Amino acid sequence: MAEGRGGVAPFSSPVIDATGLQRIYTVGSSTVAALRGVDLVVRKGESAAIMGPSGSGKSTLLGLLGLLDRPTAGRYVIQGTDTSTLDDDELAALRNRAIGFIFQAFNLLPAESAEDNVAAPLLYAGVRRPERQRRAMAALETVGSADWRSRRPTELSGGQQQRVAIARALVGDPGLILADEPTGNLDSVSGGEVLDVLDRLRDEGRTIVLITHDPTVASHAGRTLRMSDGGFLGEELCSTEPDGAGA
Amino acid sequence: MLGVFIGSAAVISLIAVGQGAQASITSRVASLGTNLLSVTPGGQIAGTLSPGDASAIGSLPGVSAVAPELSISGAPVVLRTTETSAPIVGTTSSAASVRDLQMVEGSFLSQQEVTRGLQVAVLGSLAASDLGKTPGQLLGRTVDVDGVPFRVIGVLASKGGSTTSADNVVYAPITTVEAHFANPDGVFLSAIGISVAPKADMTTVAAEVQQALRSRHELPAGSPNDFTLFDQAQLLSVAVGNSLVLRNFLIGIAAIALLVGGIGIANIMLVTVRERTREIGIRKAIGARRSDIGLQFLAEAVLVSLGGGALGAAAGSLAAPAVGHLVHVTATASPGAVVVAFVASVVVGVLAGWLPARQAAILEPLTALRAE
Repeated sequence: MAEGRGGVAPFSSPVIDATGLQRIYTVGSSTVAALRGVDLVVRKGESAAIMGPSGSGKSTLLGLLGLLDRPTAGRYVIQGTDTSTLDDDELAALRNRAIGFIFQAFNLLPAESAEDNVAAPLLYAGVRRPERQRRAMAALETVGSADWRSRRPTELSGGQQQRVAIARALVGDPGLILADEPTGNLDSVSGGEVLDVLDRLRDEGRTIVLITHDPTVASHAGRTLRMSDGGFLGEELCSTEPDGAGA
Repeated sequence: MLGVFIGSAAVISLIAVGQGAQASITSRVASLGTNLLSVTPGGQIAGTLSPGDASAIGSLPGVSAVAPELSISGAPVVLRTTETSAPIVGTTSSAASVRDLQMVEGSFLSQQEVTRGLQVAVLGSLAASDLGKTPGQLLGRTVDVDGVPFRVIGVLASKGGSTTSADNVVYAPITTVEAHFANPDGVFLSAIGISVAPKADMTTVAAEVQQALRSRHELPAGSPNDFTLFDQAQLLSVAVGNSLVLRNFLIGIAAIALLVGGIGIANIMLVTVRERTREIGIRKAIGARRSDIGLQFLAEAVLVSLGGGALGAAAGSLAAPAVGHLVHVTATASPGAVVVAFVASVVVGVLAGWLPARQAAILEPLTALRAE
């Protein structure tokens, strides 16, 4: 199977296939359309950045793509599974198996060590403890964080926490990585380190969707989609993308 | 943990103090005098008991001692410039044993002092302290009782904590009181205390006393007594009545303590879970199902509540005597109170820790993640 490296790979299977996604919030008697009918296809191996100002609907879209929220209308197929008929537990299982999250605020469990944080998704997948530890260590090594395995999040810098969070996103080997302003809470040095890790994941052929308002961050992705007022404005392909095709 | 801890500790101490108060009241009633019979005037006529009645009772078999009492209520008692008011009770030397009076200083009225009608007095502890003197300073001093000088020959020990009326009293020889204060129409006793001999049967002696008084008073058969006879059995039934009221009171207090403790526990657990809504969001994002969240919080709530409940039970058991000491009650945590407080605290803790977590687990993960 042909796999693109960041760029459009028209012949690979879609990881994300969303049609007419709508999300309308009801606040009291008034309604706010945060997302009004968005179509999006992201194929396996693509990396896509969604850009837009605050309130453009990009976070709402990411919430829907991550199965953290349900659309008011529209159809969302992730890795061939139509999500519209799934109940809460089936969605939880799908998130666990198919999606790795990287949040702006890291969202590590404060009371647990880096290793236990990374292993947490495996716990919910029913993996046994020795296997969880082995795979968590492997994931921490991937992001160069194995030395911090026994530290609590509060004992780590922001950049270190985000690398632990990336390890957690990778540990279950999901088909899709979703990143919400992954460098938003970091200084430029730590942010650069996190972007290096994301570049490597992209080059390994992982499917990544990230949202950002920072064009520098967006330039690390193969595609950039711009949002405004709950819809897409347009799309551009990134020319700085290192090209080449995976076998 | 803190909530469960405080809740169970508070409930245990409260129940212990309540039970201590109950025990204290029951024992105080018992200490009013074992084998004591007491006759007081009864019916419409005040003056039905005479010194002759007392002597007659004293000669009955089964009666070991008799103390006639002639009371003048609320007499002014003056020591130089200090004045207080206390009933003066004229009695005999046997009152010390009949009423179980304990001396702090000096001695009680002697038979000789009573026979000769000397102006000597024994002060109750409250009467003594109201005159502003410690016992040692009063012995040998002269107090004026309603204008009549008395030499203080003894001070009594307190009869006990909150029942002050028994301590605010001045005892003097009955002959002296009769001579100086008695009603010109005759001598009417206010009470006759009777000590029943250790081997005699209380009920039999009480029946004999009643029969003797009825015949002395020439009451026709079928007419009511013109006196009242209290015996130990009646005193005990009063004590039992008191303790039943107390027990209900205690149950009320315990119920309120459990309610307040439960609300405290629920409140702290609710706040804790609400603070952890974000954690619930994170766990759901990485694949936790509702049941995973519910189980986790249930397990935590059980552990925390068991730990807090056990520590609280221990602390409450230790704190109960100290709290009791503050309010002059011997408070000991009873096993029943500990078990009830522990179980109730744990149940409330578990429910308050688990139910809101289950609620939070129903939220969409995005909503839970944005909570804070």
